[in-house]
Amino acid sequence: MSRQHIPTAAGAVFLLILGLFPFVYNGGDYDYVMHIIIIAFFYAILASSWSMLAGYAGQFSFGHMGFMGIGSYTTALLLHYIHFAPEPTSICTEFAIGGTYMIFVNPIGVTSTSLAQDCLRQAMDVWDGSVPVSDVPVWLGIVLGTIMGGVAGLLVGLLVLRLRAAYLALFTLGFAEILKATISAEIQITRGQAGLETPALFENGITLFGRVYSRTDKLPPYFVFFFLMLACLAVLWWLSRSKFGLFVRALREDQEAAAALGVNTTRYKVLVFVVTTSMAALAGAVQAHYVGIVTPNALFLLQMSLVVAMAVIGGVENFVAAAIGAILIQFVLELLRNSFTIGSVTIDMTIWRLVIFGIILMLTLRFTRNGLIAPIIEYFHRGHVAAETVAKRAAATDKDGVQG
Amino acid sequence: MEFSGFFWAAVFWMAGWGVIGSIALKRRYLHRDLDTSNTSMVGAFTGAAAGPFALIPLWIKTPRLTTRYIVLPVIATVVVFGLFFAKGDPGNICVTNGTFVASQFVNGLVIGIIYGFMALGLTLIFSILGIVSFAHGEFYMIGGMITYFITSVWLPGINPMIGVLGACVATFTLGAIFERMFLTPMYEGKIDRPVEYGILVTFGLAFTLQYFVQATAGANPVKAQRFLSFPRMGLPSSEDPWLMKTSRGSMELFESVTISSPRLTAALTCIFVLLALLYLLHRTWTGKALRAVSLDREAAAIAGINPDRMNMLAFALGGMIAALAGSLLVQAFSWLPQVGAIPAMRSFVIVVLGGLGSLPGAFFGGIIVGLVEAAGTGCVPDPQKAASYIPAYGMIVLTLTLLLRPTGLLGRKYASATHGQN
Amino acid sequence: MKKTSFLAATAVSVLALSSAVFAADCTIKLGGIAPLSAPGTVVGGEAMRDAMLIAESDINAAGGILGCDLKVVIADSEGLPEKAKAIMEKLITQDGVVAVGGGYHSSVGVAAKDVADARQIPVVFAETWNDTITGDKQKYIFRIAPLSSWASATIWRHALTIEGVNKVAILTENTDYGIPAAKETTAGLESGGKEVVTFSVDIGTQDYAGIIQRIKAEDPDMIITLATGEAGYNFTQQSADAGIGPLDLVFHTGQVSLESKAYWENVPDGNLAFVQRIGLPENGFSPKGKEFATVYKAKTGKGAVESYAMEAYDSIAIIAQAINEAGSTDGDAIVAALEGIEHEGTLGKIFFPYGTGKDPSADGKPDSWWHQWPDVALTVIQYQNEGEDSGSATIVYPDVYKTGEPIINN
Repeated sequence: MSRQHIPTAAGAVFLLILGLFPFVYNGGDYDYVMHIIIIAFFYAILASSWSMLAGYAGQFSFGHMGFMGIGSYTTALLLHYIHFAPEPTSICTEFAIGGTYMIFVNPIGVTSTSLAQDCLRQAMDVWDGSVPVSDVPVWLGIVLGTIMGGVAGLLVGLLVLRLRAAYLALFTLGFAEILKATISAEIQITRGQAGLETPALFENGITLFGRVYSRTDKLPPYFVFFFLMLACLAVLWWLSRSKFGLFVRALREDQEAAAALGVNTTRYKVLVFVVTTSMAALAGAVQAHYVGIVTPNALFLLQMSLVVAMAVIGGVENFVAAAIGAILIQFVLELLRNSFTIGSVTIDMTIWRLVIFGIILMLTLRFTRNGLIAPIIEYFHRGHVAAETVAKRAAATDKDGVQG
Repeated sequence: MEFSGFFWAAVFWMAGWGVIGSIALKRRYLHRDLDTSNTSMVGAFTGAAAGPFALIPLWIKTPRLTTRYIVLPVIATVVVFGLFFAKGDPGNICVTNGTFVASQFVNGLVIGIIYGFMALGLTLIFSILGIVSFAHGEFYMIGGMITYFITSVWLPGINPMIGVLGACVATFTLGAIFERMFLTPMYEGKIDRPVEYGILVTFGLAFTLQYFVQATAGANPVKAQRFLSFPRMGLPSSEDPWLMKTSRGSMELFESVTISSPRLTAALTCIFVLLALLYLLHRTWTGKALRAVSLDREAAAIAGINPDRMNMLAFALGGMIAALAGSLLVQAFSWLPQVGAIPAMRSFVIVVLGGLGSLPGAFFGGIIVGLVEAAGTGCVPDPQKAASYIPAYGMIVLTLTLLLRPTGLLGRKYASATHGQN
Repeated sequence: MKKTSFLAATAVSVLALSSAVFAADCTIKLGGIAPLSAPGTVVGGEAMRDAMLIAESDINAAGGILGCDLKVVIADSEGLPEKAKAIMEKLITQDGVVAVGGGYHSSVGVAAKDVADARQIPVVFAETWNDTITGDKQKYIFRIAPLSSWASATIWRHALTIEGVNKVAILTENTDYGIPAAKETTAGLESGGKEVVTFSVDIGTQDYAGIIQRIKAEDPDMIITLATGEAGYNFTQQSADAGIGPLDLVFHTGQVSLESKAYWENVPDGNLAFVQRIGLPENGFSPKGKEFATVYKAKTGKGAVESYAMEAYDSIAIIAQAINEAGSTDGDAIVAALEGIEHEGTLGKIFFPYGTGKDPSADGKPDSWWHQWPDVALTVIQYQNEGEDSGSATIVYPDVYKTGEPIINN
């Protein structure tokens, strides 16, 4: 094998391992390890889409978690407030659509006693199980969440057209902060810090490979996130290989020159916003159903800083490296969680690991500007374009691996 | 206490004409091949203040938009909005209670001075280095922590001045070392995109500092003793203290406005240090060199100024200013490793509002933001929500500024040029 | 050859014997949830962690559980609901705990209980007040903390006893704890003919100046703070600075103020403030409570025991007793044992009258009495000397526990 193919092969092996892992591993902490990997996939989607936006297109957005939040709140609110029943409740706001009624639940905010109930619950108490009430399907919530994220990305993208560098970073930061403050303050609707509960991805379980998995099983969400990540990487890869990628990179290097050469800078700038923010919203919406609760805390700057740090340590100008970086960092951070004792001094690693993480971030920036993983890929793979093929080829290999 | 439909209709009217004004005027000026740099803002505020009545004359005459055309509509908009507000919610305490308005105003002013001072550090760094320091909030936090540790843990009972000075020295050193270690490659052209690099590397510093403090000092709230306790007294007499009355921790002016000792000492110190800083910048060689570098790096270098030294000085000084604000406020607020986040955001708002790189802009921006937050907290009718939205008030100002006038109130035209990209 | 095998057999039997004596080869793990980093209330979390670790060593010193060593795995909830779900999952699936104690923030309890109940792991919540935690009548969920509605009732009933209080301002945090508590307190006060106005803030707010001016403009006779965490400190001291602090009017401050040392550092002008306290005063402690207080004070260097530390201790100790009584670490067996338990805890005799055997509705009680300890002592104390410990502060309400008269200044 020539040196050029080593990263491709390594990527394929890596993905194959990830694809087979849930079937092979059988440790006592199976659920926990699976949970860590699922969250790693989640961050990988965010980090790679952010690296497309920031690294390729040079649009330094600090509002990526805001778009993620739009995705998760769209689906959470939709599933919380809209339900369907074959009979009218007569106390809720409702519309008849054919034979079924679309019921809008009245917001009751945060309550302590179970006595204060929304109109649907009251109606259901009266019905006493005689009328089946159905929710909006989870997939629809996720799709709408993704679309909402894309729409928000379109609007923000249009607004920030004139802004550069620092101003763009501050504007997007402001956007995320306003969103967070609004969600925290509108308690009556969003339940504020208390959060909105969401149904599981597969509330009624699912049958895969001839086995029945319940709603708490980790295998189905694992593969949902795994394939989402691969799909996102494939889209990013396709974009970066197309004319679009070339133009977007031109934008980053010199906007005026790009415009002078006939690149429609406005359109590409907005487009890259829409694509990457929809990915963030998609990740957020799916994650909302995986975690089972959405709260405004996910929009904190700390979460954003994790995504940024993952992308930077992986390699901000290479989205595959950013995704790998996210997965590895998520692992390392979990592994470093355990405290240890030297003599009489106990080192509380839950906090120190973040200190170390911060130092690594600074050193990475200072000494290897393209992260820690991207240079490895490029070492084998002179020329960055080829590096991006890793994802696609590996993805193909992997699918064979899983089904085979 | 809910807004009437009238108020919302009025707001809708103002916002609608604001949007129309900003877009239409820009088109018009563009069409006539005139300078469009102020059109969005003038159009938006003229539209918001007077609707079509003022927009149409502007549209027809297209005068050169001097400062007058900016200031008047802004004032008019604020006044008109205030009138609508008073009409829409006549029972609001902001309308009926003059004492309340006065105290809210003074509070906003006092805290605004401190905000502005802190933002000054950020804008100083930007004007010299061309980067936005995302570690500004952490310098603020560390300043407070060091002052607390010096005055309450290591040397209890010591003069708080020592604590403040200790914090300044420590953060100045930290800033200088960080700049030498991490920011120097920016100047040598080794980095493609220095602005982004600056943001990221200071971001890393912020992350590290916050968790370092949490790991070493713990996450329990701490607070330094009041630097200054007022003597109990009344003016003109203690029987009838209509002019001024003091208790240990606060003083009351005209029987309506109370200012707490920590805030008063902090604001006064800020003004004092600001004056010292102005002296430094305008009367000393170093200060002149700093300003020269901020205006034109190459020219300054030709004139014999070492820009690298100025970079270090500016970053260290900027961080120290934030730390000073923190060390003055640690006597007013309970301190945690996370306290830097909100002031940092606020500083971003202020510097953008004032104009990135503009020192007076930062100071006035601070006062404006202080007043806007005070007005928001004080006047939003629903008490359940007024305070919950505190973080958003500033951000709304930021968003409006960036949309209407990205250069800020007193800023140079960075936003549309490629500052920091070379 | 024969000799060797004999020796080996001896060695094996000696080993087996010694392991039976020292019980070192088996460990039973219990989870302990506490907020140990912001935005959670770290002061409270650290107190609970210390108490749960004392419980661990006490139980091990007394022979462990079922002849095994007890290990309490502490998990940091950060006060966040989504984190709560994750750590509950981690405790159960990675650490393999058989039951869970602790818990401070209501939002954490509300989110974590569903995970535990679905996985059939019993939880005894120590300090989560939201009524729905037991009100959802889940099989595996128990609580020894008071219900939010009881805690609110103590506050408003106390407020009604104070003469000259006609208008009350409430500052609440916008969380699962604050909002319902504010609603209940408001309803109670209004039933007594008082005028009430509520202001809510985001947790993490530092500067309360604007809100305090609004409260001042309302000219209340009493202020009630329903906030966990350092918000209680910031708000109380800044109110004092503005002339409406505990020294100026009747001021009920946040729960975090029980942490006396931090309270006096953060609120130097906080004398005469009222605070709600759970459990009896120290001289009324059960023997076990006194014993725990001595150990706790020695370990932490604090001058007094906070009520949530005692609750945390009991939450672990009662699970240990239940496992011993059940003779098994099976979730259902533990639940059965807990439902019939009589535990001599630091807070007094703990028992759960309602559960799968007897529904609360049988006695006309609301659902929230399910798996709920009914005898929680709720008191209101007042700091009457600057720098005093919360443990020795005067208890002013209710009359049963009263140790002194409140000082009211208006």
